[in-house]
Amino acid sequence: MVHQQTYKTMHDAYLGQVKHKSDRLMNYFLVSFFITGLLLAFFYDTWLIAIGVGGLSLLAYYSTKLLLPGTGVYQYMVSVVFAIFMAQFIYQMHGLFEMHFIAFIGSAILITYQNWKLQIPLAAVVIVHHASFGYLQYIGYDKIYFTQLDYMTLQTFIIHGILATVVFFICGLWAFQLKKLNEHQIEQNFEMGRFQEEQLQKKALLKSNDELKKSNKELDSFVYSVSHDLRAPLSSMLGVVGLCEMGTLDPFMQKNVTLLKTSIKKLDGFIMDILDYSRNSRLELDRQEIHFTDLLTDISGNLKFMGAEDQRQVDIRTTIRNGVAFYSDKSRISIILNNLISNSIRYQNPEAADPFVEVSVEVSESAAEIRVRDNGIGIDRENQKKVFNMFYRVSTKSIGSGLGLYIVKETVEKLHGAIELRSEPGKGCEFSIRLPNLPLPPKN
Amino acid sequence: MEYKYNKVMVIDDNQIDLYIAEMVMATTGFTGKTICVGSAKEALAYLKPLYENPDELPDLIFLDINMPEMTGFDFLNEYQHLPENIRKKCIIVMLTTSLDEDDRKQAEGNQFVRKFLNKPLDRDKLAQLM
Repeated sequence: MVHQQTYKTMHDAYLGQVKHKSDRLMNYFLVSFFITGLLLAFFYDTWLIAIGVGGLSLLAYYSTKLLLPGTGVYQYMVSVVFAIFMAQFIYQMHGLFEMHFIAFIGSAILITYQNWKLQIPLAAVVIVHHASFGYLQYIGYDKIYFTQLDYMTLQTFIIHGILATVVFFICGLWAFQLKKLNEHQIEQNFEMGRFQEEQLQKKALLKSNDELKKSNKELDSFVYSVSHDLRAPLSSMLGVVGLCEMGTLDPFMQKNVTLLKTSIKKLDGFIMDILDYSRNSRLELDRQEIHFTDLLTDISGNLKFMGAEDQRQVDIRTTIRNGVAFYSDKSRISIILNNLISNSIRYQNPEAADPFVEVSVEVSESAAEIRVRDNGIGIDRENQKKVFNMFYRVSTKSIGSGLGLYIVKETVEKLHGAIELRSEPGKGCEFSIRLPNLPLPPKN
Repeated sequence: MEYKYNKVMVIDDNQIDLYIAEMVMATTGFTGKTICVGSAKEALAYLKPLYENPDELPDLIFLDINMPEMTGFDFLNEYQHLPENIRKKCIIVMLTTSLDEDDRKQAEGNQFVRKFLNKPLDRDKLAQLM
C-alpha cells in the first residue's frame, strides 16, 4: 500500500522549510547590520560601540541558536537583536532621526517567519529604549543620543510611538495572514492528494478484483471442460461394461464386470468431487429462494439406485418445516445434501433392520437447521474430528475419494454456516448444519 | 415382437456411445430400428426430406449436447424451423454427460425436449421412457 502523508507531516515539513529558509536569510541580515555598524563608526569614531554592541548581539543570537536549536527562542532573539541594532545605530549617528527606521526594517524582515508574535520583543525593546533614552536626553543627561532635535514635544513623541506601533502591528498582521493562507493551501493540497490517492487505490482495487473474477471464471470453465472431457470416455466405458453385463451369464465374467463398474463409478465420483470442490471455492454465491421439498425430491431421486450391488436400498425420509422463505445458494446446498445422503447410503449398517437416512429441515427467519441422521455404521470418536479433513478416509473399507466431507465443510463455510457431527459406532451418524438465511439485497 | 418405439434416432459425435445406445435398445426390444448419426447436421439432413413422408420419421430422438460444429442446442434452434408435421412426430430426449445445471435448465425449458438423461444409456433409463 502507498504511504499516505498525513496532514501534520505535510504541515510540519512546510514550517520546517520556512524556518530553514528564513534562518539562512537572517545570517545575511545580521552580518549586514554588523558591517553597517562598522561603516557608521567612521562618522563619530564609535568603533568600540560598533564592535562591542554589534559583536555581543551576534554572540547572543548565535549562542541561543546553538544552545536551544529545537526551540523558536533564537527567533525571538533576532527580534531583540534588531531592536538593539536600531538603538546602536541611533547612538552611532548621534541621534540621526532616519536611524529610527532601522526598527521598521527589522519589523519587515521578521515577516518571513510568518509568526506575528516575533514583533513583540522588537516593539518592547524599542519602547523601553525610546522611553528611557528620550527621557534621559530630555532631562539633559550628557552623552545620550536619542534625537538631533533640541526639544521634542510630547505630541511628537506620541505620534512617533503610534506610527511605530502601527507598522509593527501591520507587519505582525501580514505574518499572521501569510501563515493562515499557507496553511489553507497545505490543507487543500493534502485533501487533493488524499483524494487522488483514494481514487488510485479504488481503481487498482477494482481492477484487481475484475482480474480475479476473470481468472476465477476462466479456471472454473477450464475445470469444467476438463472434467467433462474426462467423464465422457468414462461414461462410454460404463456403457460398454453394461453391454458386457447384459451379454453374459457366466458368473466369473459377471463378477469381473461388476468390479470394473465399481472402479469406473469411483473414478467418476472422484472427478465430480473435484468439480464440486473447484466450483465451491471459485464461484460467487448465487442467492435464490430454496425450495427444500423439491430439492430433496430431486436428490433422493438421483441417489435412490446408487448403493453397491450387494447393498440394500436405503429409505430416504424427509421432514420439512418452513414457515418462511429461505434464501441461499441452491447448488451449494445440493452439494452438501448429496454428499451427506450418499454417505449414509454407502456406509449403511448391514446389521440394521431397515437402513434409513432421515433429513429434517427447519427454516426460520434467521437460519435453516438441517439434520441428516442415519442408522449406518457410524464413526468412532477418534475419527470424528478427522473426517472433515482433505483426503481423510476412516478405514480401508471406505469407498469414496476422501473429499466428500471436506467439500461439505468447505461448502458450509462458504455459506457462512456451521456443521457438527455426532456419532456412535454401530448406531449411526447425525450431522447438524446451520445455514444462515441470506435474503437478496433489496433492488433499487 | 412389439416395440415401444418403431424408429429411434441417436445423434452423437462419439461412435462408442452410438454403438452402446444401439445395442442397449436392440437387446431390450426398445425399438425396431435405430438410426445413428454422427452430427446434428447429418440429423437435419436426414429429417428435412421426410416432411412429405412422416411415417418414416423417428418417434424418438436421443440428442447429445457437446458436439463439434453444431451443438445439441444449436440443433434445437434449427429444429423449431422444421415443418410442423416433423416436430409433431418426434420426441426429443437429451442424452449427455453434462452436469451443468444451466444445461439441464435450458434443456428442460425447451418445448421440444421431453427428458434430460445422463449417459450411459442403460436398461433402467430406457424404462423411464416406456
